[in-house]
Amino acid sequence: MTDVILEKIGKTYPNGYHAIPSVDLSIEEGEFIVLVGPSGCGKSTLLRMVAGLESISEGELRIRGERMNEKEPAERDIAMVFQNYALYPHMTVYNNMAYGLKNRKVSKNVIEQKVTDVAEMLGLTDLLQRKPGQLSGGQRQRVAMGRAMVRDPKVFLFDEPLSNLDAKLRVQMRVEIRQLQRKLGTTTLYVTHDQVEAMTLADRLVVLNKGKAEQIGTPMDLYNKPATPFVASFIGSPSMNLLPANLVEQGVQISSSLTLPLSHNYRGCVVWGIRPEHLEITDEQNADFALRIQAVESLGAETLIHGVLEEESKKGIPMVVRLSGPHLPELNSLMWLTAPVKHWHLFDEITQQRL
Amino acid sequence: MTVTFPQKGLPWLLLLPQLLVTAIFFLWPAEQALEQAFYQEDAFGLSREFVGFENFIELFTDPLYYQSMLTTLFFSFSVAILGMSVALLLAVMADRVIRGKLAYQTLLIWPYAVAPALAGVLWWILFDPSMGPIALWLESAGVDWNHYLNGNQAMILVVIASTWKQISYNFLFFLAGLQAVPRSLIEAASIDGASPFKRFWTIVFPLLSPTTFFLLVVNLVYAFFETFGVIDATTKGGPGQSTNTLVYKVFEDGFVGLDLGGSAAQSVVLMGIVGLMTVIQFRFIERKVQYS
Repeated sequence: MTDVILEKIGKTYPNGYHAIPSVDLSIEEGEFIVLVGPSGCGKSTLLRMVAGLESISEGELRIRGERMNEKEPAERDIAMVFQNYALYPHMTVYNNMAYGLKNRKVSKNVIEQKVTDVAEMLGLTDLLQRKPGQLSGGQRQRVAMGRAMVRDPKVFLFDEPLSNLDAKLRVQMRVEIRQLQRKLGTTTLYVTHDQVEAMTLADRLVVLNKGKAEQIGTPMDLYNKPATPFVASFIGSPSMNLLPANLVEQGVQISSSLTLPLSHNYRGCVVWGIRPEHLEITDEQNADFALRIQAVESLGAETLIHGVLEEESKKGIPMVVRLSGPHLPELNSLMWLTAPVKHWHLFDEITQQRL
Repeated sequence: MTVTFPQKGLPWLLLLPQLLVTAIFFLWPAEQALEQAFYQEDAFGLSREFVGFENFIELFTDPLYYQSMLTTLFFSFSVAILGMSVALLLAVMADRVIRGKLAYQTLLIWPYAVAPALAGVLWWILFDPSMGPIALWLESAGVDWNHYLNGNQAMILVVIASTWKQISYNFLFFLAGLQAVPRSLIEAASIDGASPFKRFWTIVFPLLSPTTFFLLVVNLVYAFFETFGVIDATTKGGPGQSTNTLVYKVFEDGFVGLDLGGSAAQSVVLMGIVGLMTVIQFRFIERKVQYS
């Protein structure tokens, strides 16, 4: 069943700034959707429009078939977790969680039951009488989630909830959020700028760029078949190597002296891409090109090698190679590489669409 | 950071101007008042005799003094509560204004620049029973306004005149306090289903409590000690004793009634009250709730 529908949703500010031209998205019940994009791409604005904290300038928002554009945030049956948690500092954890239920005139016994249940689920039972100021970052994060959960809303909205936590806690909370969401089965809309968070959490991802949805799909769709160079470079770390090239009869012409053979009907300017993990080391005879090594990052399980293409006319084009296991090549030496055709990504340079 | 001076003389030299001002304009008069309180002086200041605690005994057996205390308390709390309520209302409204925000705020701050006596004169003219526009308007509305004869009306007048000036000050602090309340808290509360009215009373107002308490103390101190000018310009403590606050009584008994000893004894009592209020202020404000 389709739960949330965004139909040609757009946002224009009173000063005329067109923040979001038009976004279409339909979310299935229980689905975990992540909105991801660089800062200023409109992802938070979109989330706030769903929440009712920003007005919707164009298009229609429907939750369970009902038009929501004119409804107050409280009437939309959503719950939101804010980046800074937005806990009420003068209330105890218990009252923070009970506030929404009290406002909805739920009876005292029911409130107590619900708050205790959720507190137990989140491991907050011992903290119920504390105030937010006495909690650690991770605990505050949990309270914010608990406050959203007690109301048992139709939709959860998360606005970069993990960005104020340290790296280790972030990974832990990421896993916890995913497990909780699976368990509760609540439709979720989650905003982040962190592509790792996006990939690990999402059932489906929406990559936003300048207010436009560049691509909507499962994390693996986006990784394997990015629709645009923007998605290609945004998803995956380190990001995909992208080079401007020319598609000619002999294949992909990267420079006057380097053409990678390919038969393709398209002719013209393209963007050629390959992920760092898909480049393979080989010997001079079988190599497609050579890389002059400039820096080596050893991460133990994998090694990232940064270099520039050793090509007469294209000297200085940077490329990254990702190898599994430890490697210690000498700096400034040449590395011979091959790029298997099946891993190539080709985009039309003008329309920015995948070929 | 601690700065150490090589020799002992320089720090004292640097402190000297402030110490001199304190000594000449605060400590010396205070000491004089304290001394005076134990003497009975003749009206011309030619002779005086030591009377011990007699001035104080007389003071505390005088029903007029207790009446003045009650008047002061009523006056001070009225000024503080009225001034703070109006200022809070204005601050909440100014906080919502989007266009012309600065103009509103500047205009609302202006009255603070008006001297207390001028404020008094202003209101005195507005309410003058024979020619004041407000008084005439009240008369046409069926209210017989004459604060020269009616003690309650006199009290209303001094409360309004004193409050008016303080509203700007309160407004500034409330506005700053309101702007310090994170927007996301209000948004979270609106998602939590709280009406604007409920949001204000359950979220915003509690978060303003340090500001509110600070202003309560400041306003009480103001109404207690700094409204001499307003009262002198409007009612001169009358009619009868109806607006004769403790501070005004010091002046009236001392410089009009020429009872310098009794007036000094009242000053000493006031000094005690100031001290007490300072202690309360530091006790509570220094320990005010810290919101993260």
